[in-house]
Amino acid sequence: MASASVNVSVEAVQEHKIQEVTLDGQEIYIPPLSMSENLAKLAHKIDFYKDESEDKGKPTSEGEKEVEEEASKAAVQPSLWPWDNIRNKLKAALTEMSVLLDVLNITKEKRYMLLDHVSQDAPEAKSAIQLMAKKKGLQSAAGVLLAGAERLKKSQQEMGTRPQNEFHIELLKLRQNWRLKKVGKTILGDLSYKSAGSRFWQGGSFEVTKNTNIANGEGDNMASTRSSLEVVIPTELEGSAFVQVEVKTVEGSMNLTSAILRMPHGLGPYPSDAHWQTKLEAAQNVLFCKELFSQLAREAVQLKSFVPYIVVGNQIISNVFPNVQLSIVLCHSTGKKDKKSQHPGKVEHNHVLEHSLHQLLREVHFKSLNMSVPHPVTATIGVTKRRRMAGPEAISRRELLEMTESETLLEQIIKQTRHAVLRLRTMKVIDAVAAKFPDPQICAHWSCLNSSLESNVRVIITSQGYEAMRPTWQSLYLEIGVNDIKVVTRERRRIILSFEEKEIEDLLLWQISQHHIAICQSLARLLSWQYISHSSATGVGEMEDFATASSVLLVSPNSDKVIAVRSGPTTGLHVHMKSDAKDIDADLASILEAKWYNLTGTFKEIDLNRIDGRNFATKLELIMASVTRKR
Amino acid sequence: MDSTGPMGQVLSSRVAPLLENFLQGSVLDTSKDVLIHRLRGLCDNAENQPEIFHDHEIVFIMQGNPNQQPMYFHVRHSLIHPESWHVRYLGVAEVGDKNKLTLIRHCVDAGASSNVVDFLNEMGFKIDYEFIAKGYFFHKGRMKVTVSKLYKILQPGSTDQVEPLSQSHLVELSVVAPRVQEQIGEDMKNFAEQLKPLVLLEKIDHKRLQQSLESR
Repeated sequence: MASASVNVSVEAVQEHKIQEVTLDGQEIYIPPLSMSENLAKLAHKIDFYKDESEDKGKPTSEGEKEVEEEASKAAVQPSLWPWDNIRNKLKAALTEMSVLLDVLNITKEKRYMLLDHVSQDAPEAKSAIQLMAKKKGLQSAAGVLLAGAERLKKSQQEMGTRPQNEFHIELLKLRQNWRLKKVGKTILGDLSYKSAGSRFWQGGSFEVTKNTNIANGEGDNMASTRSSLEVVIPTELEGSAFVQVEVKTVEGSMNLTSAILRMPHGLGPYPSDAHWQTKLEAAQNVLFCKELFSQLAREAVQLKSFVPYIVVGNQIISNVFPNVQLSIVLCHSTGKKDKKSQHPGKVEHNHVLEHSLHQLLREVHFKSLNMSVPHPVTATIGVTKRRRMAGPEAISRRELLEMTESETLLEQIIKQTRHAVLRLRTMKVIDAVAAKFPDPQICAHWSCLNSSLESNVRVIITSQGYEAMRPTWQSLYLEIGVNDIKVVTRERRRIILSFEEKEIEDLLLWQISQHHIAICQSLARLLSWQYISHSSATGVGEMEDFATASSVLLVSPNSDKVIAVRSGPTTGLHVHMKSDAKDIDADLASILEAKWYNLTGTFKEIDLNRIDGRNFATKLELIMASVTRKR
Repeated sequence: MDSTGPMGQVLSSRVAPLLENFLQGSVLDTSKDVLIHRLRGLCDNAENQPEIFHDHEIVFIMQGNPNQQPMYFHVRHSLIHPESWHVRYLGVAEVGDKNKLTLIRHCVDAGASSNVVDFLNEMGFKIDYEFIAKGYFFHKGRMKVTVSKLYKILQPGSTDQVEPLSQSHLVELSVVAPRVQEQIGEDMKNFAEQLKPLVLLEKIDHKRLQQSLESR
């Protein structure tokens, strides 16, 4: 019992006052007061203001002293209490502050502690307030949009009611058609053909200005046509111009000075308040015509040719054929009144040739700009492909020289004029001959495929009613060139005619005479007459002025009648007939055949005018039919 | 230019050499279309589509003496028109001259037939390198502008299998003239100014380029 000691612990029974008993039987104890709390409680119980001596009365002096000591002790002790309390509270505060500082430092380091959001409960949605807020927001947005729409509508209206001829709109339209650039404060434009390949020395630059005096006078029409944009054209390009080309026959070959300068009267001055587009176009046309004329004049002076060209002022005159003169005049009317009265002569302006001139100059422009692309690109530019390949392909010197030859504008237009003259003349001659001789029909079929330097025509001579007999057709093929006309006849004979009109006429007459003979031959075959002889170049009889006459002898089937036809271009057509002789002895008649009677007898001419018939073929057929006797 | 060497012989034999003034630059593939538009507006024939070319160039080299400079012949033919062959000898351009606004080099051009390659091979030239150039061609007056993309030939002999050398196009501006003229340089410089922000056409020192390639 002494060795085994049992530890006995004496503890106070932890009996605390029960604060409350929860519904599930759990007892909640009032936690025991800690030391500091206990102390505070006790300190609160002391009433420092109440003097103990008052309660006890007046004790003995010792007792008083003791009481005073006690009281003073009591007074001293309570005097320490408030400061102690405060001191403790401050200490606690310091402790707490240190803890807080440590916590903050540790969370700042973020290694051991982190600050995180506290999840808050979503605030309950107050729908009424939300509705109000949304409504207000929508209203303000709508207000902004409406204001913007109002502004747009206003500007749109302003655009509509603004007059169409406002300066900037006009400037925009101008810029769409012409090249403009701004130099300093002025706007300059370019109306020359430089960008299209022209190398003319005269530039065409115009200035664009604002028109400040728009007269709002009476008449709305005037105000609406007046634009707020004006163009100032250089003085030398004012007015309008065109190049007049005239081809006329002049008596006397080299009478070049007789050309009269005729001012154009189709070209009037244009109003000064015309629209800028018309003004600019007119100025551009003037520049083009000037360039064209200067080019032609330069070539006329430099070109060496048999026929001299005369350049006088603004005229170029040259003879394309003897008696035919070509005159090219630059007519430029500046709009100012001419002091001299205009010559009222009729000007036969050849529009086709004027158009050709314009085309030729445009071709020159085009060629200067469009060079063939070199393939490969390192080859020389500016030369044609043929020229580039001339080396490798080893073309001859002659071909090289041919490649370098080029025609000037003047040469080209003169060629075209010559051809035009020739063609017109040929047409006239053919029509004249056809009208003059109704007997065989002359039909000219002009080819629709022709160029400015070459045309063809096929002339067919037939007799009406006898077209089915193809051999009677005389068809001529004429190829009209620049200087001459080539003819291919039915027998494939080639003839070259010059520009004289008479030659064509003679040719046609000759062909007509040939046609008559062909008719005779065909009719003879048809009516079974026999064909004794034919000579296309009869050496006997009257001499023709040109070509030769042809003749043919036909004999009837019964061999009793002989018809001789002679046809020549100038001597005309003669038909003679011989009947058999009536004065043969009756004795011989029985032994001789009828054909021997033909050996004698005289030919008598038949007057064709007195024979019925529309044309020679009908008449001849009638003659032949009527004298043919039944066997 | 120098009167010795190959050019001297050319000049003394009265073949007409020409002088080529040229400027070069490059533009990235992505910006090529903008440049083409600009060139269309600046050059002649704005209304037509830009002309396309597709060329195959072979450069031949002949090394005479080992100490002498080798001679290069550029043989170029178009793949669109295969019958057109062109041989070019190019001199070296002097860069240092500040007065000249463009690079100027001698060039001797000659058209050739299609057997020029065999001919040069027989003469002793060896093929140095070859490439394909494809692009657009413009001209303004006598100025020639080409925008070309260079391709490397993968398989020698077949011009179909090619791959592009870089992601950019080479832009060249050149004028060929018989003699040195100040006006040509002025015109070319002004034209290059018009293309300034898109492509920078300038005198490029070929010797320095070669040196930097060799040192690499």
